[in-house]
Amino acid sequence: MNFHVFFNSPWALWLLPLAAMPFVLDRAFTQRYSWVAMLPKDRLSDLIGLLLKVLAVLALLFIILGLGSPHSQQQSIERIGVGAQIALVLDRSASMDDPFSGGDTNGKVAETKSVAASRLITQFVKSRQNDMFGMITFSNSAMYVLPLTENREAILAAVQATAGNALFQTNIGSGMTSGAGLFDKVPDSGSRAMILLSDGGGRIDADTQQKIRDWLDRLHIGLYWIVLRQPGGLSIFDASYVPPEDAVLPPQIELNEFFKTLNSPFHAYEADDPKSLAAAIADINQKEKKPIRYHEQIPGYDFSQICFLLAALMIGLLLVVKYLEVRTWD
Amino acid sequence: MHTEIKEFSYHIGWRSRGRRSGSHASTQRGMGMEFRGHTTLLSYPDPRRIDIRQTMRDPLEQVYVRIFNQKSATPVFALADLSGSMNFGSKQSKVALTSQIASAIAMSAYHNSDPFGFIGFDDVVREDWVCTQSFRAHQALELTAALKSFEPEQVGSMGLKDVNRYLPRERSLIFLISDFHMPLNELEEALSLLMQHYIVPIVLWDSSEYKNLPEFGITNVTDCETGQKRTLFLRKEMRANIIASFEERRIELEALLMKFDMPPFFVEGDFDSDALTEYFHQFVAA
Repeated sequence: MNFHVFFNSPWALWLLPLAAMPFVLDRAFTQRYSWVAMLPKDRLSDLIGLLLKVLAVLALLFIILGLGSPHSQQQSIERIGVGAQIALVLDRSASMDDPFSGGDTNGKVAETKSVAASRLITQFVKSRQNDMFGMITFSNSAMYVLPLTENREAILAAVQATAGNALFQTNIGSGMTSGAGLFDKVPDSGSRAMILLSDGGGRIDADTQQKIRDWLDRLHIGLYWIVLRQPGGLSIFDASYVPPEDAVLPPQIELNEFFKTLNSPFHAYEADDPKSLAAAIADINQKEKKPIRYHEQIPGYDFSQICFLLAALMIGLLLVVKYLEVRTWD
Repeated sequence: MHTEIKEFSYHIGWRSRGRRSGSHASTQRGMGMEFRGHTTLLSYPDPRRIDIRQTMRDPLEQVYVRIFNQKSATPVFALADLSGSMNFGSKQSKVALTSQIASAIAMSAYHNSDPFGFIGFDDVVREDWVCTQSFRAHQALELTAALKSFEPEQVGSMGLKDVNRYLPRERSLIFLISDFHMPLNELEEALSLLMQHYIVPIVLWDSSEYKNLPEFGITNVTDCETGQKRTLFLRKEMRANIIASFEERRIELEALLMKFDMPPFFVEGDFDSDALTEYFHQFVAA
């Protein structure tokens, strides 16, 4: 790695020659001695004398360097992480309070779809610690619940709140545009997904379709659609279904056809009991584990603190010597 | 002021040639006690000294007089080293000690009826610190008193080589007061120019120069004469080395001075005038 040091106040470096002063000037405080030539040569003393000067020079040097406030340049480092941004778009229509279609109830009341969804999504959220979640619920219209956040308590509370009583109709278009809106003005982590959980479909008018197509494409959002099948309802994967003549396609099949035409990645799941719902969520969990490449800006490191610390250390050493200094000679 | 001055007694080991009466054995005829011989009254017409017995014994019937040697005065000089190193000293600077010793010499010379002169030198002979020889010690005492507060500059002591030009031709008693912190070969050269005089080297060493060094510590020292600077890390080993170095120097110095037949008189700290008296009894034949 190239290591460059930059100075915020390079004018301070003009003072650098001052650091050589201890070599030029002698220490002011000296003892008089009658005849220095009489003193025997002592290498340790000479060494200490040199060391003191070097310490003084270094102390000045580091202070002056510190005044220049040196720093390394900011760098951007490519990192690989696993933090996805996931918008949960949950259906809160009245039909979500019904039990699953395929589940065997064994004579007991089965878990309702909304409770199962909230339970499984809670698990899903808990298993993905690095992700940001946002939530939109919708019935007649979209309900803005939670922006994209990393606050896990808020997310879990929001998910659990969806297990409550459901509301009226299904307005998928509004839910999806609101869900896509969550990503707007949020920095792209590189992995964005919208999980649309609904039972059955709904019709989306052409304007809204175009809007959804644009937004998902522009905001790089992958779409996962989990359909909770109505009891005795159509399967969206049923290729053999032939609509009656002159009749429109059932809404969920039409929706699936629309989603397939999206430019962004799309995957549909169909769940008719909690087990298959869990499998679908597990699959999403797997798919959204792709590594995210992103550039992190590492700010330049400020070396002036280190310089001042070193200078303080040198001065400390000099103070120790000062303490050892002979004060009473004659 | 004079009460502080500690006098000592001294004598010289040679016959003085001074005409002024004094207290030293002399070669001058005069009113002394030392009988020298007879001569005729015609050649030494002093009727007070007629020796009747000698006159009567002479078959040629000449009149004889006795001749005596008088006691004469001998010049006494104090040569004071005023080089930078004399500024050193623990209780008092060596210059102050020099002033004390020089005053003692001046006072002793005055009471011994000897003329006293003072010559101070550093790298040159300091004309402002010269006092020509005089039987009256006042001027010299004033000078030596002023010396007490003198602070030498950063100079050497090579003026010793020029001092002989300020000394009389007559053999004099010279007290050379210095710390002798100079190279031995230069000292030898200077001393060989002063051979016609009798020199008493008074060596001023200070115990804080070597014996009373601080036990432990770091210090910077500046040479008083050359300005040379060194950092010292004083510790047991270093102190032992310094003391050994000074002891070696003492032996070398003594050897050199004894070569000139000038036994050194060491003064460390205080000047003891009785010790100086003792010195004369020990080393100078009466």
